[in-house]
Amino acid sequence: MSTIHLPTSGQIRDTIEARPESDSYLTHTRGVLSWIFTLDHKRIGLMYMWSVLGSFLLGGIFALLVRTELLTPGPTITSSADTYNQWFTLHGAIMVFLVIIPSIPAALGNFVLPVMMGAKDVAFPRLNLFSYYLWVTGALCCVLSLAMGGFDTGWTFYTPYSTTTSAGGVIPVLTGAFILGFSSIFTGLNFVVTVHKLRPPGMTWFRMPLFLWAIYATAIIQVLATPVLGITLLLLIVERTVNIGIFNPSMGGDPVLYQHFFWFYSHPAVYIMILPAMGIISDIIAINSHRHIFGYRFIAFSSIAIAMFSFLVWGHHMFTSGQSALMNTLFSAISFSVAIPSAVKVFNWVATLYKGSVSLTTPMWYALAFLFLFTIGGLTGLHLATLNTDVHLHDTYFVVAHFHYVMMGSALIAMVGGLHHWWPKMFGRMYNEKLGTAACFVVFIGFNVTFFTQFMLGAHGMPRRYYDYQPEFQVYHVISTIGSYIMALGFGMTAVCLVSSLFGGKKAPANPWGGRTLEWQCASPPPFDNFAKTPRVADPYDFSVVKWDEKTQGYWVDDAADPEMNPNAPKTAHAHH
Amino acid sequence: MSMTLQTLTHIASGAQAASAFAQAAAGPEPANFWQPVAASTNAAAVDFMWDFINWICYFFFALVVALMVYFVIKYRHRAGTAFRTDYPHHNTPLELTWSILPTILVIAIFWFGFKGYLDVTTAPKNSFEIQVQAQKWAWNFKYPNGAQSDDLYVPANRPVRLVMRSTDVLHSLYIPDFRVKKDVVPGRYSTLWFQCDYPTGAPSEKGPKVDGHHLFCTEYCGTGHSNMNRKVYVLAEADFTQWLSDQSQWLDKIADDELYFKAGPKLFARCQQCHSLDGSAGIGPSWKGIVERVKAYPNVGEGKQYPTFEDYIRTSILVPGEYVVPGYANAMPTFKGQLNDRGIDAVIGFMKHLDEFDPKTGKYLKAAAK
Ligand code: HEC
Ligand SMILES: [Cu+2]
Ligand SMILES: [Cu+2]
Repeated sequence: MSTIHLPTSGQIRDTIEARPESDSYLTHTRGVLSWIFTLDHKRIGLMYMWSVLGSFLLGGIFALLVRTELLTPGPTITSSADTYNQWFTLHGAIMVFLVIIPSIPAALGNFVLPVMMGAKDVAFPRLNLFSYYLWVTGALCCVLSLAMGGFDTGWTFYTPYSTTTSAGGVIPVLTGAFILGFSSIFTGLNFVVTVHKLRPPGMTWFRMPLFLWAIYATAIIQVLATPVLGITLLLLIVERTVNIGIFNPSMGGDPVLYQHFFWFYSHPAVYIMILPAMGIISDIIAINSHRHIFGYRFIAFSSIAIAMFSFLVWGHHMFTSGQSALMNTLFSAISFSVAIPSAVKVFNWVATLYKGSVSLTTPMWYALAFLFLFTIGGLTGLHLATLNTDVHLHDTYFVVAHFHYVMMGSALIAMVGGLHHWWPKMFGRMYNEKLGTAACFVVFIGFNVTFFTQFMLGAHGMPRRYYDYQPEFQVYHVISTIGSYIMALGFGMTAVCLVSSLFGGKKAPANPWGGRTLEWQCASPPPFDNFAKTPRVADPYDFSVVKWDEKTQGYWVDDAADPEMNPNAPKTAHAHH
Repeated sequence: MSMTLQTLTHIASGAQAASAFAQAAAGPEPANFWQPVAASTNAAAVDFMWDFINWICYFFFALVVALMVYFVIKYRHRAGTAFRTDYPHHNTPLELTWSILPTILVIAIFWFGFKGYLDVTTAPKNSFEIQVQAQKWAWNFKYPNGAQSDDLYVPANRPVRLVMRSTDVLHSLYIPDFRVKKDVVPGRYSTLWFQCDYPTGAPSEKGPKVDGHHLFCTEYCGTGHSNMNRKVYVLAEADFTQWLSDQSQWLDKIADDELYFKAGPKLFARCQQCHSLDGSAGIGPSWKGIVERVKAYPNVGEGKQYPTFEDYIRTSILVPGEYVVPGYANAMPTFKGQLNDRGIDAVIGFMKHLDEFDPKTGKYLKAAAK
């Protein structure tokens, strides 16, 4: 068997057979300290992953508390509106700053990006570890904030409420978010340099896997937008402590200015969340359809287009803020421009299924769920970008539903899909696919029950961030809460599925899904240094040379059959366009 | 152009069109699956846009999901078979089509939304103007003749313009049935206008129950955010004029000796979200036993910092920060400009006779006995 696996010409790859089995990045060194001080991108990626998943659990608990409180109008499980206000604030802040923003780039990206490029690590491994500890420091600040009385400002920290509220934990959490921002900036910086400098021979810009394009576009936004958040939070801290008055109208300041600053970061941040998700989906769909991704260049360019447009649309969060009618008009017009590249991506993904050979693996089910949910999330953006309908819908549950479809139904679902996609690579174990797929279905159903109802709530006029509400809204709230319980059950199943695979899951082959990118060509789990020699690559979406191997129950990449990798190879019928 | 589109969407949503005919003369377009009652003159334009966008959404959603499901079933890979290789890598005409077609559509959406928005930004010249003050967590509406109210009363068949300001944090005034919303920002005025042609009538103690339109605060503003909601009542021209004059004089029309029980409970309604009468602490201290308590305040109560009980209450209402009750935040808004001397007298009288009122609702008990 192994003779077949070794390419007949060209360079030797590290396949699972080429190294002693024990030497993986997980076993290379042992002990807690070997993790705490590791510079290995894979270990840092894993530490991020567990931290992010832990935060997700915490944010999820707050979400369930919020939903349970809303089962009835008036008090349900807490008789204090202030407590409720802290819950939804914590839910939002945790999910945005601690979970979604770092989830794909810092956790999955860290693990996958260098391996995908055949590199041994990111460009700056020390900076990478430092980013992680910044994340930890930021998270500790949030915990400190809770100990000091929490915060009830909403995750948006709008002034003057945030500068005047009596909740004691506002300054620690602002400091925390400030520090988390730097964690994000450094990760972005690292990835930009890595993509520019460490691509392997053969990987031209238009040979990059789309996940790399997406991470690259994201990293650029992280580097350019996050400093604005940093300075804004700093101003808020100064405003709250020494009252400099920049946002305080009684001292000549302007609270609306804060909103401009905040959304100048936070709109692009939406794309920090969704772009990497789109990258994952592109790859999952192509690999599981076992065919070339449709319209590669359109997808790659649309990532960059979205990254650029994302800086020009922040004002669409402020149509009712008192911003001038002219500004509203301009922001509305530009916002629609983001719709086009997003739509183009969706069409390309669907077209990739056409004449493919679709394997319905668990990651693929997540990708299909993403397509469904992102289509709804994206289309309902039209109602909100349109001036006169937004006036009605702004700050209602319609907006809540819309951004949950995008941030949770799309970004987070893609993250969970990616987790399933690369899980065998990370730990060398296969999970139970039946359970994984079933969990995906339960999450999908729970999600729609929870959030589709909220579109109706919002359109009927239910404002967001309400502890108490009119009795006529109750039926929707009850359905939505039931949905959230279903979703919690689904995520519970996912957790069982993944964790149980670590104990007694089948051994994972190097390439369980049939991918052609480099991470599928080193062992599962990868050795400490990924590849002994930097490999050469060809078109990452040409799956004609990916072949099934009965013995390992996995695929392997027959580079020798690719005319580009091996000039002697027989020309296949399949032409490259 | 917009007429034909309107017709189109109405044909498409047959049920809605039918109900529109049935209701055309009687009242506003009733609530449907998606939208609440369309009670303002502007609501039809918003709902038209909503429908227009919705149909676009339905179409593209159905297209994407149908193709996805069809392709997944049709091109499903069966174990043991070879992968297909006859797929296209890209198709430039197709890709251009699906880039350009949505571009045209979103330009159309933008344009209609923009035109609809221009109509809501510029209030007609003859608008009836109402001053709105938002504070944590109450609305105060002031009418040109000096009358004030907590619920919003507006004349029917006439454009109404709200001139709004906030004394503390951001708030946002939202009337779902009118499809209008605008943030109320401290340090600047913001305005909003609407016109409603369907009177709701005013609520009265004896008359039939009147359903006003909801008025919500939609910008998060803290503890009482979700209770910062009121009703909008639309009155026919003559009723409104009558209401305005009654409202500006209601306190003066009550005889002095009846003031505390006729005006007291009404005024208490404004304080009720923070103050109770039954001893339970809220955002502010309960008023139960307030007369004795104030006298007992060290260095502050009657005869000390304040010559009389009445002086203390008066100051608490007009300058709440002067003396902050221990254990409570300085969270009470000032009622300066909202409660005149007579109003304050009524509140003080109310406090002195608390045993004559229902401790839960503040209703006058002897009235029920009569
Ligand atoms: C938004 C909440 C809120 C509303 C509405 C409110 N108050 Fe208060 N009030 C407070 C708080 C908090 C305190 C305690 C802090 C202080 O003394 O300023 C207080 C204190 C008082 C006191 C002093 C009580 C004492 O025991 O010493 C009086 C009198 C009072 N309020 C009267 C009123 C009246 C009259 C109204 C209605 C017209 C009203 N309040 C509406 C929050 C409110
Ligand atoms: Cu945005
Ligand atoms: Cu509010």
